[in-house]
Amino acid sequence: MSLYRDSGVVLRTYKLGESDRIVVILTLGHGKIRAVAKGVRKTKSRFGGRLEPLSNVSLLVYEGRELDTISQVETIDSLGPLYGDLDRLTQGLSLLEVVDRITPDREPVPHLHRMLVGALRSLESRPLPLVVPAFFWKLLAAEGVRPELDVCVRCGEADNLIAFDMNEGGVLCRTCRTGTPISAEALRLTRMILGGGMNAALDEPVTPATAEVRHLATEAMEHHLERRLRSVALYERL
Amino acid sequence: MAAVYAQAVQTLIDELGRLPGIGPKSAQRITFHLLKLPTEDAERLANAIITAKARVRFCEQCFNVSEDELCSICADPRRDQTVLCVVEEARDIIAVERTGEFRGRYHVLMGAISPIDGVGPEQLKIRELLRRLGSDTVQEIILCTNPNVEGEATAMYLARLIKPLGLTVSRIASGLPVGGDLEYADELTLGRALEGRRIVD
Ligand SMILES: [Zn+2]
Ligand SMILES: [Zn+2]
Repeated sequence: MSLYRDSGVVLRTYKLGESDRIVVILTLGHGKIRAVAKGVRKTKSRFGGRLEPLSNVSLLVYEGRELDTISQVETIDSLGPLYGDLDRLTQGLSLLEVVDRITPDREPVPHLHRMLVGALRSLESRPLPLVVPAFFWKLLAAEGVRPELDVCVRCGEADNLIAFDMNEGGVLCRTCRTGTPISAEALRLTRMILGGGMNAALDEPVTPATAEVRHLATEAMEHHLERRLRSVALYERL
Repeated sequence: MAAVYAQAVQTLIDELGRLPGIGPKSAQRITFHLLKLPTEDAERLANAIITAKARVRFCEQCFNVSEDELCSICADPRRDQTVLCVVEEARDIIAVERTGEFRGRYHVLMGAISPIDGVGPEQLKIRELLRRLGSDTVQEIILCTNPNVEGEATAMYLARLIKPLGLTVSRIASGLPVGGDLEYADELTLGRALEGRRIVD
């Protein structure tokens, strides 16, 4: 059996047998892996809380034919700041839910790993309301479904853009409008996020447009995944 | 793919493989173990499953497993009715009971919030919990969900729901296992233990 080192974010875990878990991890070098953590559910496990979802860890893993086995784990970013805060925790979980849906098994996606680690660190240090929507938009762009935000997707008109329709792939003018209404402010914020001004967008003061951008990003992501996001429903309701 | 085993054997492997924590390899191992058993042993197991399934149901009040409408704990008038311990699964009741530290009653959520697995608050027995809290007998809630991300999210969610009702809400402490070494503790556990420290008198 060969041994490899990697770092990764724990996406989810499944119970296995009496006291083990299968841990699904988005690693930097090996993509999404499934590895067994032996004895992790026992209170005296040497892994302790290091393999909980949202943990960013460095790993030593035995490669197996079907499942890998985790040999050692060290914490890179403790999930402490997220663990004790319901809003941050549920937002973190929504990042994991989306990443788990989008990433294939065992195919390196280093840009996705980098984005996830970055977004989790933002949630830990500065849990601003646009962290999750910005992540969703960036992820969609990385998946090749970048929405058209500059001109009407039907007629090419650059002014009076007042609607957003994911089925159409972007914004629409007053004449062609379908989908959801979008305010000028929400459009400006979304353009900032996707136009290389993400950090500036995160720092913008909270206005009604903030909630609008959150809504649009969730809608776009749900449209892309063709399913409702449970975790978003959870923190939006709180 | 050609059938490797006789149909009856494959059916048994498939059924066992659907149980929690049993992978295809274990299902196969258990199947061949069962096939080697004397007939009466296998029948006793089959009957135990059928009888339990026929007799055991969930307590109408707390969702503990029970042979009657109310479980033995809910039906016991000596149990303190003012304190409710909220757990994820009925088997957690057994763990708490073994401590001998708790004399109140329970409420089983039948799971924990886990969006990635499609489990939100609606899938849990939360509405039923709130209905129980509607009567004035309950004054204190102890949130005894698992010390992991799902259990913690569930506890914090419940605390936010229940606190406005004016009840005392507490969460079991997380900390270091007795008998363990401090140097082996992970950052999260040790951090929680520090946060939950108490004055020594
Ligand atoms: Zn148009
Ligand atoms: Zn009961």
